[in-house]
Amino acid sequence: MSFSVAGEEDFFLEEKKFKQYCEEFIKHSQKIGDGWEWRTSKDFADGYLSKTHFQVTNRNVPPDLKEKNKDNIEQMLFMHVEESLDDSQVDGVCATAEVIRYEYHVLYSNSYQVPVLYFRACFLDGRPLTLDEIWKSVHACYQARLLEGPWDTITQQEHPLLGQPFFVLHPCRTNEFMSSVLITSQKENRCTNYITSWLSIVGPVVGLNLSLSYAKLASEQMLI
Amino acid sequence: MISYLTLVTDKVKKHFQKVMRQEEVSEIWFEYEGTPLKWHYPIGLLFDLHASNTALPWSITVHFKNFPEKDLLHCHSKDVIEAHFMACIKEADALKHKSQVINEMQKKDHKQLWMGLQNDKFEQFWAINRKLMEYPPEDSGFRYIPFRIYQAATERPFIQKLFRPIASGGQLHTLGDLLKDVCPSAITPEDGEMKTQVMIHGIEPMLETPIQWLSEHMSYPDNFLHISIIPQPTD
Repeated sequence: MSFSVAGEEDFFLEEKKFKQYCEEFIKHSQKIGDGWEWRTSKDFADGYLSKTHFQVTNRNVPPDLKEKNKDNIEQMLFMHVEESLDDSQVDGVCATAEVIRYEYHVLYSNSYQVPVLYFRACFLDGRPLTLDEIWKSVHACYQARLLEGPWDTITQQEHPLLGQPFFVLHPCRTNEFMSSVLITSQKENRCTNYITSWLSIVGPVVGLNLSLSYAKLASEQMLI
Repeated sequence: MISYLTLVTDKVKKHFQKVMRQEEVSEIWFEYEGTPLKWHYPIGLLFDLHASNTALPWSITVHFKNFPEKDLLHCHSKDVIEAHFMACIKEADALKHKSQVINEMQKKDHKQLWMGLQNDKFEQFWAINRKLMEYPPEDSGFRYIPFRIYQAATERPFIQKLFRPIASGGQLHTLGDLLKDVCPSAITPEDGEMKTQVMIHGIEPMLETPIQWLSEHMSYPDNFLHISIIPQPTD
């Protein structure tokens, strides 16, 4: 197994393993053109995953669109620009849409020995989103959890390698939820890429989704 | 107790707001010789890093306009400062005790740490903080030492790595051992001279000092050792 087990509930990720999983992740991203790249800091060997994409947000969904999409109203909250829309939908979207540039970084935390998701977001005119706007844009399913303890969940922090303000999804609970994921895959003798599993869980909270093909990557490795 | 800029400048804000129009006042921020000061760094660290060779009192410039979004974190309320301070304490305990001590504490204990800092109440603060400075009798120190090394004018804001206070043979690691491991340039002379100083709380501790002792006795209230590497002062 690729993680050190300090106790039954401890599945710490070592930094070397972090880099290996990221490498596999990047390879797959390149295959499917998903836009993730590996960046290194100027003076040290530290590196991180990085991806930028644009999202159209539609906070005030026009009534006619609401009707058409009654069943997937949550998906309307974040729509990728690449999705093709028919003319009637485009009109509706443009009326109340805002384009936001998101930049996501995955760094390794020595202190918690887990990956951490950093991100920043700004409108096309350069205005950065406020913490309030970020909290409001958290996916509807996670709003309840966020409201329980917003200050423990997403806050603004200094990026440890770039020194600039970023928003961060707090890592102190990562070990808890990753333990159950990893215990299950251990039991089922499945190979998992820690980064893929982790990102598929935390990403959607802040509008970052992973293609299902990343899951196939892990099962393909089993055949080796 | 040393604290954070935005926590101690209520009077400054009120003073300037008396002479400014409402529409002119947006978020307060501070700057020294053109460099925006990061409020989330302890004041003592900021001074060591930017102005240690100057005389007190430290003159900094207050701004109420043109908040530098790319350089500074926002600080719209005391909640932000509390969240930041508690996040540092939690991270330090993750390193020292795998978060066991901080997690065993109740919410009211966490609040007491914050209130002690906010109201400058040494006894109140240390009643709880002393538990964060303890370690199991069978160990000789913490699991890892919470520290950050700062050098002005590098892109990377600080260096932070895992470092054990006790060597495998049981000897105590020193400040010199730490620097040799994570920032050797700080203790390497250039052309036979030391070009830099190693500073914590405005003093240069001896490199032979055990890092475990430094962590217990010279950490900031956030439980981190904030170490500045600054140029030797030219007289």
